[in-house]
Amino acid sequence: MLLGVQSLVKEFGGLVANADISLELEHGEIVGLIGPNGAGKTTLFNCIVGYYKPTSGKVLFEGEDITGWPAHRVARMGIGRTFQSMKIMPLLTVEENVMVGAYCRTGDRQIARRDAHEILELVNLTGEAHASPTELPIASQKRIELARALATKPRLLMLDELAAGLNPLETKEIVETLHRIKEERNLTLFLTEHVMEFIMRISQRLIVMAAGRRIAEGTPDQVAKDDRVIEAYLGERYAEGR
Amino acid sequence: MGQLLRDIFSFGDRPVIERVILVVFAAIVLAFPWLVESAYARAVMIKFLLFALFALGWNLIGGYGGQVDLGQAKNVGFGAYATALMIVHLKTPFWLTVPVGMFFATLESFAVAYPMFRLRRHYFAIATLCVALVWKELFIFWDWTGGARGVELPIKPTPNFTYMEFGAIGYHYFIFGLFMAQFLFMNWFTKSKLGYQLQAVRDNEDAAASLGINVTGTKVIAYCITAALGAMGGSFMSVYYLYIDPDLVMPLDLSILIAMTVMVGGAGSIWGPMIGAAALIPLDMYLGAWLAGGGYYGIDFIIYGFIIMIIAAYEPRGIWGLIQRMSKKG
Repeated sequence: MLLGVQSLVKEFGGLVANADISLELEHGEIVGLIGPNGAGKTTLFNCIVGYYKPTSGKVLFEGEDITGWPAHRVARMGIGRTFQSMKIMPLLTVEENVMVGAYCRTGDRQIARRDAHEILELVNLTGEAHASPTELPIASQKRIELARALATKPRLLMLDELAAGLNPLETKEIVETLHRIKEERNLTLFLTEHVMEFIMRISQRLIVMAAGRRIAEGTPDQVAKDDRVIEAYLGERYAEGR
Repeated sequence: MGQLLRDIFSFGDRPVIERVILVVFAAIVLAFPWLVESAYARAVMIKFLLFALFALGWNLIGGYGGQVDLGQAKNVGFGAYATALMIVHLKTPFWLTVPVGMFFATLESFAVAYPMFRLRRHYFAIATLCVALVWKELFIFWDWTGGARGVELPIKPTPNFTYMEFGAIGYHYFIFGLFMAQFLFMNWFTKSKLGYQLQAVRDNEDAAASLGINVTGTKVIAYCITAALGAMGGSFMSVYYLYIDPDLVMPLDLSILIAMTVMVGGAGSIWGPMIGAAALIPLDMYLGAWLAGGGYYGIDFIIYGFIIMIIAAYEPRGIWGLIQRMSKKG
């Protein structure tokens, strides 16, 4: 087991954003986390990577209890992440953005630069290395976020809505990129997504959340036929009338 | 070692042009005492170099770190008082007092940094301002610091390298040496791991943390280095003025002028502090003196304020941002 979440609860005031979530990820898997808006997907991500402290429950990574660790320690432990709302560093160049990630594993600038260039090549951004990230299109900025997270040499990569805002062609390209980097870097991927086209195509296994709870799990085909999932997405009446 | 030297002397976007500018600047400053005889002009030049030095140090936390620290005068004061008190009471050579001042500034900054960095933006700015004011009042209140009367340093009859006392030309080269040392240090710093991490924290704290950067830790270290650099300039002020008191070395005006110099010149760029000091100090020393001579006290402050308003509205990255924007168009 690479990542384990055990009975995780996260409350904000009286609002229960995550109620008793348990899940496990094995090494090398591609797992998707889906659910309607407000299901608590991003909250769960944030609890795992240390942006939020869970109210109760446990997060285990490679056998170590990392519950409540600050975000930078989780990153050093080997969990990389991208953000739903992009968080590019606007005053640094593309190359420097990725180098900051690489500095997570080295203090040497030559090594950091070399690592950054390898990764920029992997995500097809070599030509934009010296550009200012804010001048690039959304699709390229998403690749910068991906490259930056990769530069920290994670074993688990958590991608929050990576395909949001991309057109179908760009989505197809980023799926190919993800497959390539997963093989090359021996990664485990954990993704959330609204774009069903994207997540159905890439995930081997899906976990479905609704209203803070885990309601279903299975292969994309199983989940697509699951009544509880259809109900959560389309409403009770639609599920009954089918 | 070779790599370190390359880092110190290499520049970002336009390496050749920037190296040429530095050499030309150094040549002008080195030749200055031989070209200009006016004692007033020489004093203006020394003040320019002193504020360029202060601005360089503040640029670390304020420019690269994006944290508006309005308390740098306290660190200037620590440096100035460490030097003055040790020379007067212990007859310590100047060069040994400098690290002591830097050490105390660092220690104090480390002690107050953690609670202060729980605050953000203007709340942080207000906290830094308050801490600096408390220190100034303490230095006025205490007896062992000389209180409001300040400290007078013994005047040496001949140029003296142990206590760094000499004529105007000597001070000119002395402050230029300190300035160049800090300039090259900053040029190296911006390319170091900590330099990049600090800029990442400035640009986006969440993203920085997700890349394994300890956000608060990085800010604290930057705050402490800035303090040490400020104390260095304070030590110089002691031996240059040969008299210090809290109103001279720790006032609120000084903190604000240091921050303003960087913002006017261009925060977060290696040239910004120099440009800012070149724009503000002569303005203050000539225009301010000229207007006051005509009985128009305070007009120069209105002009100051006007310049800052224009820069804030038109180009937040200061004069250096303006230059970059124009050179991109051209």
